[in-house]
Amino acid sequence: MNRKSEPLAWGLLLPTLIVLSVFVIYPAVQSFLLSFQDVEPFSKRSFFIGMENYQVLLRSPDYWQSLRVTFFFLILTVVPSLVLSLTVAVLLDSNPFFQNIFRTLFLLPVAISSSMAAMLWIFIYNPTAGFLNYALDVFGMTGPNWLADPDWALVAVAVATVWKELGFNIIFFLAGLTAIPTELKEAAELDGASGWQSLRHVTLPLLSPTLFFVSVVSVINSLQSFGQIHILTTGGPMGETTTLVYNLYRDAFVKFRTGLASSEAVVLFLLIMMATIFQFRMAKKRVHYG
Amino acid sequence: MASVQMDQVKKQFGEVEVLKEVSLTIQSGEFVVLVGPSGCGKSTLLRMVAGLELPTSGNILIDSKVVTTVAPKSRGVAMVFQNYALYPHMTVRDNLKFGLKLAKVEKAEIERRITEAADVLGLAAHLDKKPGQLSGGQKQRVAMGRAMVRQPKVFLFDEPLSNLDAQLRVKMRTEISHLHRKLKATSIYVTHDQVEAMTLADRIAVMYQGKLEQVGTPLELYQNPKTKFVASFIGTPSMNFLEKSLLAKVQAPSLAFSAGIRPEFTYLGKKSEKESSRLGEGKVVLVEPLGSLAYVHVAIEGQYLVSEVKSDTFPAVGDSVSVGVETSKLFFFNEQGLRI
Repeated sequence: MNRKSEPLAWGLLLPTLIVLSVFVIYPAVQSFLLSFQDVEPFSKRSFFIGMENYQVLLRSPDYWQSLRVTFFFLILTVVPSLVLSLTVAVLLDSNPFFQNIFRTLFLLPVAISSSMAAMLWIFIYNPTAGFLNYALDVFGMTGPNWLADPDWALVAVAVATVWKELGFNIIFFLAGLTAIPTELKEAAELDGASGWQSLRHVTLPLLSPTLFFVSVVSVINSLQSFGQIHILTTGGPMGETTTLVYNLYRDAFVKFRTGLASSEAVVLFLLIMMATIFQFRMAKKRVHYG
Repeated sequence: MASVQMDQVKKQFGEVEVLKEVSLTIQSGEFVVLVGPSGCGKSTLLRMVAGLELPTSGNILIDSKVVTTVAPKSRGVAMVFQNYALYPHMTVRDNLKFGLKLAKVEKAEIERRITEAADVLGLAAHLDKKPGQLSGGQKQRVAMGRAMVRQPKVFLFDEPLSNLDAQLRVKMRTEISHLHRKLKATSIYVTHDQVEAMTLADRIAVMYQGKLEQVGTPLELYQNPKTKFVASFIGTPSMNFLEKSLLAKVQAPSLAFSAGIRPEFTYLGKKSEKESSRLGEGKVVLVEPLGSLAYVHVAIEGQYLVSEVKSDTFPAVGDSVSVGVETSKLFFFNEQGLRI
């Protein structure tokens, strides 16, 4: 950058910097500072209490419970979402005839808001008038009260989440698959590879950058899930769907324990960062770029 | 080694007929080049031999066995693709090994074949590199190596040199020719470059608009083209065609619509030899000096002719020259482009 273009560059960057500073950097720094303070509800008074908020978290059985729930929610959403979306994308890629219509169908849930999607699932899961239990009833089975049963609530929320996220992942996988030259698949076919061997040895390694990106985004999305939990179960029954984010929300906006909630936000940030670093480390060996 | 037979092979994509009942027999060990302009159906025909495309009707036979619907892996063919189609995430060694591992060839045998192919193709120093670290020529060699190690009955080449620069193309052409003489494997080679076809082929099959125009040795096609298209496609520079007023000056048969003459049998300047016809005065519009000879483009009576001139002094652009052709070397074609 030469000296003449420097002011222009700063001028172009400034709007973004202002927005980032006001809505991201300042709240993040404030949140970090608040995590070391006890903030009085409905007032601006706060006291520095060092690491006490973090100690409270470590001693809180509710917090450990939400950590457990978050972990299971992560597994229940990310793994099926990746497997399902990859399977659908591979099937659509091999049948271009159906690609347009199904791509649109799978993308529809992404286009609607989380609250609308959650409302839809409330109807589906309704124990007496819901479609799911009606369908089970047709086959002579009795479905549980999905959203109120502690054994099923997390699974029910996870299914709704996977349904909502599926289209997003499919689009990325389809784009990745389309970018793989047909000649490579044909070369594998001539080399004697079966459909599965071609997928395993050629398609998946070449799709690994997309797979990596989608898995990182899915993990972050899952760890930050809030809307569907709030509408479907409000964290219940018996805290079985209270994830770290939902716990944080309750501490901040129901119990007004702003300092404690800030420390939860910091821990959540560290967890997401660790998960992402872990994924990047794993990716070094398994992701092939060009 | 195996013979390959294409029996009345037809291919349609929707309404478009890409191949119109093509029949061609390739003998065991023969190197046949399918040549023709883009879109003539040559690659489609090759892909059908490979099993990557199904014919709409007709049959493909390898070693007299019908393989029309047999999977590519069970046909005993190996293909070298235009864009190399090397697996970018695998090393050169793994690229060569992949097909053999799937075929459950013994480890020692795999190593032996890889070493042999690497030696022949000069790839020994590159076995642990990935395709992204190789030059175009090296990638092309790996692609050929991958085909070689499988020891196929038939080698298929789909415009393998079209992505290389001119110099490398000549070098690789020599290598392919050398390799074929060594392996003596049946090879089908697709190209739109007639120089490649002429230099590599035992026989050339010229294709045009989904049909086989003519099949023969390179010299047969050059010296005895059966259609105007073959006459124009084979040979560099292209054959000259005399039409209308110029045609009248060369004692053409009554049905002749055009007369073809190669640039080396077109004379400029000095009085033509005894068996030649003088066409008249022309104007030099372009001179392409190639060292020992030059191609001189002349405009005469609204038509353009190219003449090969072997001399130290070439005419200059704008010069008026006398133009003649050797009558015994003329080919006459009717309105449909068929040789008379």
